[in-house]
Amino acid sequence: MKARKKLRTIIEELILAVCTIIMMVPIYYLVIGAFKQRTDIVKFPLTLNAQIFTLENFPYVIKKMKYWKALGNTVFITLMALLIVIICASLAGFAIARIRSRIFSGYYKLLVTLMVIPFIGCLLPLTTLSSKLGLYDSIWGCILIQAAWNMPFSVFLYAGFMGGLPRELEEAAYIDGCSTFGVYSRIFLPLLAPVTATCCIRQGVGIWNDYLVSRTLLNENKNPTLMVGINGFFGARGSELGYAFTGIVLVSIPMVILFLFLQKYFIKGIAAGAVKG
Amino acid sequence: MKHTKQTTGKRNALGRNQVRSGMVFILPSLILCAIFMLYPLFEVIRYSFTDWDGIAKEYDYVGLHNYLNIFKIDGFKDMMIATVTFAIGTTILTVFIAFITALALDKRGKGRINRGLMRSLWFLPALLSGVVVGILWRVMYNYNNGVINKIITGLGGEAVNWLETRVVTNIAVIVGATWVQIGFCVIVFMAGLQSISQELYEAAALDGAKPRQQLWHITFPMMASSITINVITTTIAGFKAYELPYNISQGLPGKSTMLMTQRIFFFGFQDYDYGLGSALSVMLLIIIALISLIQLVYLRRREDIY
Repeated sequence: MKARKKLRTIIEELILAVCTIIMMVPIYYLVIGAFKQRTDIVKFPLTLNAQIFTLENFPYVIKKMKYWKALGNTVFITLMALLIVIICASLAGFAIARIRSRIFSGYYKLLVTLMVIPFIGCLLPLTTLSSKLGLYDSIWGCILIQAAWNMPFSVFLYAGFMGGLPRELEEAAYIDGCSTFGVYSRIFLPLLAPVTATCCIRQGVGIWNDYLVSRTLLNENKNPTLMVGINGFFGARGSELGYAFTGIVLVSIPMVILFLFLQKYFIKGIAAGAVKG
Repeated sequence: MKHTKQTTGKRNALGRNQVRSGMVFILPSLILCAIFMLYPLFEVIRYSFTDWDGIAKEYDYVGLHNYLNIFKIDGFKDMMIATVTFAIGTTILTVFIAFITALALDKRGKGRINRGLMRSLWFLPALLSGVVVGILWRVMYNYNNGVINKIITGLGGEAVNWLETRVVTNIAVIVGATWVQIGFCVIVFMAGLQSISQELYEAAALDGAKPRQQLWHITFPMMASSITINVITTTIAGFKAYELPYNISQGLPGKSTMLMTQRIFFFGFQDYDYGLGSALSVMLLIIIALISLIQLVYLRRREDIY
């Protein structure tokens, strides 16, 4: 019986390992490809050895893709949009979860409805609107649009989190004459770290990986972002696999590093965000 | 609880104060959403009734003309088939694979591979952007140089033209999209599995329920809400997808694998038929709204049965 169980475990793990390896083939192929030249990627797709190893792709791609500038823009857009989202969404979430009024439950319903709207559907009027507002080809236009489109789900997260906190939290403070803003900033804000982590991870990955907003609103040459950069770069040099792979590795690596360091929060954030959804 | 008149009055005043502050609190998010979501939404609906080309100063209202023309778009049927198969195909494939993977990863104990590592590996693709994944799979599907055909020929098979015919291309795009979505769903499923009380299984085992019966009568019903969430998010993501499928297939052959989102983009920015593009946008919006509704109602009802 015990031996049979052991055998079962081994077979199960073997199947799992094979499936995992199949899942990982594209990533393996990509990462080793970044260190090879085009001809070697074609000739030896799944091997890397000292003879074909090269670092030549990197300086070329970094220069041609305007990597540092694109990286800076993307980091800036992501951080600023997240900052705006955190401030606005935690305030709105507080009102929805902790203040009883039909206004706020109505607002909540409106936001939940807005979550359904596909961004691509509003892309056309958004471009016209941005040029009207003087936000065309401006990083701030991009930031505001990202903040707005990530707002409903974030408010949803914050309202859900704050709704789960005990009622007694603010009662004493109100009786002592604390203002509503005081209750928000002194009592609730310090408690919001977990939901803020969830929000940053869920929305941050999306903003970082965004293509459509920056593609339509920013001038590719003047204000490149990583995803628009890699798309244009691949479009122009599609057959240069080595460069393409290096580019992909370069635009993806910051998020992957962040994930490796904050793994626990990523996993928790995704799970928490989804269960409430 | 009984209140004297005075404290009730005080309470009401306090409540009014709070509501007033709350209105200030929702203002920033409301302004942002009103300008950048609601206004464009109304605009897209308005434009869908016009013949605007996206540039000219003047345009006319043409009633339902654009909506009727949607059905006359060249390749309308292909577009709908591609869009629906893409959304449903990725959903079924993703949720199915993710569920089995989560079940496997949920088994812990001696002699098994490190679960933290496995979870991270399965999640890794989910971090990549649509653009990047699209490019990567396009390269892998390449007929002469792609790694997939290299592996197939290496194993003695015959190279496949992944991006030449409509049906195969649709499948190829689905596989690429599934690869990214799985990680997210696995995490959600694993969280769901962990929230199932171990006592349920112990009690079932005591009553002589076999593992398969336990899976059917405990795991499935307890996982209903996780399945709901994953099915809804994946389907909606499928209808909203743009750059990932586009970068794999570029809509080829012809425009036959172009999804609705991609046609919308082209109508707006290339064919200068803003009106038709807007009408198509409204249609997509209605489809997505309906699906979220149907899925919610249907799947929630299923949850109640158990």
